[in-house]
Amino acid sequence: MKSTSELTDFYYNELYPDLQELEKERKALRSKVIGVFGFITLITLGIIYMVGEGDGDGDGVFFVGALGFAIAGFAYKLMIKDYTFEFKEKIIRPLIKAIDDNLKYSPTLHIPQHLFTASRLFTKDIDRFSGNDLVRGDIGDVNLSFSDIHAEYETRDSKGKSSWHTIFRGLFIAADFNKHFKGSTVILPDSAEKTFGSLIGGWLQKNNIGRNDLVKMDNPEFEKAFVVYGSDQIEARYILTHSMMKRLLDYKERTQQDIYISFINTKIHLGIYYDKDLFEPTLFTSLLDYKQAISYTQTLQLSIGIVEELKLNEKLWSKV
Amino acid sequence: MSTSLIVFGVVVLALVLMYNSLIGKKNQVENIFASVDTILKKRYDLIPNLVSSVQTYMTHEKELLSKVTELRSQATKPNISDEQKIKLDAQMTSALGSIMIAVEAYPDLKANENVMHLQRTLAEVEAQISAARRAYNQAVTDYNNAIEMLPTNFMASMMHYQRKEVFEISEGERQNVDIKVLFNS
Repeated sequence: MKSTSELTDFYYNELYPDLQELEKERKALRSKVIGVFGFITLITLGIIYMVGEGDGDGDGVFFVGALGFAIAGFAYKLMIKDYTFEFKEKIIRPLIKAIDDNLKYSPTLHIPQHLFTASRLFTKDIDRFSGNDLVRGDIGDVNLSFSDIHAEYETRDSKGKSSWHTIFRGLFIAADFNKHFKGSTVILPDSAEKTFGSLIGGWLQKNNIGRNDLVKMDNPEFEKAFVVYGSDQIEARYILTHSMMKRLLDYKERTQQDIYISFINTKIHLGIYYDKDLFEPTLFTSLLDYKQAISYTQTLQLSIGIVEELKLNEKLWSKV
Repeated sequence: MSTSLIVFGVVVLALVLMYNSLIGKKNQVENIFASVDTILKKRYDLIPNLVSSVQTYMTHEKELLSKVTELRSQATKPNISDEQKIKLDAQMTSALGSIMIAVEAYPDLKANENVMHLQRTLAEVEAQISAARRAYNQAVTDYNNAIEMLPTNFMASMMHYQRKEVFEISEGERQNVDIKVLFNS
């Protein structure tokens, strides 16, 4: 498998003609977006000024402001649609192909909600589910799929006004696991102990409603980074051997994000919380920017590389 | 009057909670040991097959093979204590490890399908045993902590709870030795 630096070379060398073309498009689009936004802002301010004169409680001003904001958002989406499409076809698709030819890329699809829910990474009920950039295929014998996911829930205040809150936003990966197991093992970032210390945090972890029993792991570093819940104390340790714990710690280190892991239904599920939509083109920074290039190649390398990184392709005795 | 009643209530509640937590920990140890036992038994069941498959070839390791058989018969005796089981397990692990290494010296054995299958099954069982030992050790550590730490230690001594032994995890196991590599070496 290609390393991040090899992929970055590929990005700058092989994709350079397309990148240049996209850069031109980006600059033109940027001016267009700034112009349209300026126009919408002026109109909105004008209307606010007129409405504001006779608007005692400010409801009208708020309404016009919100409307202007919504129109701007809609216009933005419409304007960048073609650019985004081209970027994904000309940059992301060849990058994925360069990593592994067997992988299928569908820019508008995402992992279905029932699979995400079945992973039990998050117990909160989902009210809105979206995503894109689905990649799936087999790497050796290991079936792998991942996509961008945004899962949210809705709350309403006393006035009935609704607001949306993110449950998870980032990369969701599902892959075959190379050991047999029957139950479920869920590994979450250790936020309780980090926030409340080991005594209260530990008690909170132990009494986490909606989760299985707490499984204390015998790797202090792992225990510090994660909290494990499992339906079977022995099975959880059968999956989380000392070397697997080490690999997961290394993986977390490399992603630099909070990661959520579960072993359910013969699969490993991984949620990497980036809190943004990945594999999207930039508008205000250059596509040739090194940091930008690295962020695309590294994310792809990390998600496809999981098979090698966690040795999911290692043939074990039990599952042939 | 009411204050003393509240104090009395709190004390009783604390005692009940401590008692229940101790019982819970003791049961957890027993519970997991039962699972350990089941998996250990799985390994013992493999041994007769293993010994009969390799003994015709392994002329120099007769002693080793009879030791394994002997250990198995000891371990499968009824009414042996948990401590004895733990000790026998350690001996069994090392004896089986030696046999597996010895197999490498016999090309015919290495290529034998039955032996290969046995090796795989055994390695799988070993992985399960390793997980079970770690689970048991954690449960025992929780239990031992509870009977030695304040405030539960007073109640534990009244209940005649005693420290339990843990499985010794060998350095090799801690490194999580890759048995496959061992086979291929």
